Amino acid sequence: LLRVAKCPVQVCRFLSPRGSVLIETVRGRKSRNDPKAKSKQDRVKVPPPIDPVEMVVLKERYTQYQMIMRALRVEFKEQIMRRRYEEEVGSRAEERTKHEAEEHRALMAWNDAENLRLRQLREIRVQKEVEELAMKREEAIGLQEEKRRKILKEKEQEILQLQEDVKTFITLENLDQRIEEALDNPKNYNFAIDKEGRIVKRTAIP
Amino acid sequence: MPMKGRFPIRRTLEYLQKGDVVFKNFVKIMTVNYNTHGELSEGARKFVFFKIPQIQYKNPWVQILMFKNMTPSPFLKFYLDDGEQVLVDVEGKNHNEITQHINKIVGKTQEVLQAEALAAMVTSNPANFGHRKYCLRECLCEVEGQVPCPGIVPLPKEMTGKYRNQMKAGQE
Repeated sequence: LLRVAKCPVQVCRFLSPRGSVLIETVRGRKSRNDPKAKSKQDRVKVPPPIDPVEMVVLKERYTQYQMIMRALRVEFKEQIMRRRYEEEVGSRAEERTKHEAEEHRALMAWNDAENLRLRQLREIRVQKEVEELAMKREEAIGLQEEKRRKILKEKEQEILQLQEDVKTFITLENLDQRIEEALDNPKNYNFAIDKEGRIVKRTAIP
Repeated sequence: MPMKGRFPIRRTLEYLQKGDVVFKNFVKIMTVNYNTHGELSEGARKFVFFKIPQIQYKNPWVQILMFKNMTPSPFLKFYLDDGEQVLVDVEGKNHNEITQHINKIVGKTQEVLQAEALAAMVTSNPANFGHRKYCLRECLCEVEGQVPCPGIVPLPKEMTGKYRNQMKAGQE
């Protein structure tokens, strides 16, 4: 058996009369073109019998009841709308917005103060870095200059040394003299050394 | 299945729900400018890595943007409803300090949050039955310990109206 009530079927609102129960238009077990059942072919659908006296009384009571219910509903809706209106555009709302705006301004001021403080710290830091950079550059220049000076000095030293060495050079004029000197003073390059490391330069002449 | 990423705890619901920065209604866009290298951007980087997921979870309607290596110093900028822009300098700060700072400036206070929670509780009563959109349950058959839905499990014969009417008709 198909449980009609539990079927997830779209509820057809515009077929049901206003104010009454919502009828779910469900086709049930049969589709549109299925014929009537044999046992129901001669069935004449008769509406339920109505008692006119009872109907009159019922109608009056219904009108009163529906009037009261409608009035209650409208009252409640009005209450809710009034509450919402007061919340958004009421005296309290204005105070609240003013209060919030003031708080906002105060917080923004505090934020600006923080930013200022950090900005000053940053400026100091940046200045220090710039100074350090300048100092480093100066140091580098100084070192370079010192290097240059050292090189110059060394070069000068070499030149002086060379000038002194020139005196001991053998030239064409000195040649004969130097040869005579060399032959006169034989130099002995031999030496002896023992295990303790004592050097002996005076050895036997070959 | 192992968790993905470097600090996968950032993706857990528990971690996200622990976030405590809820922006006020007039904050629409948040922009974070930071650098990927450098000692001064360290706090901003940690903030972006750890705190942004929590903030976005708590404020799903706020657009959060991240810009890397565009400026020498890191900062946050909030773009408000009325066109106002709030600049927050973040150089050299700890990520906790940054969170506290923005919570103070543009975050809802604890009292406001509690008041909102109370209002939400008042409107939605958990004892109501109705449409899924507004209430927790639709029918009593969904509650544990109650008679199950006769659409799924047929009722015992003695509880059906048909059987009872038959019995009554039989007796009379």
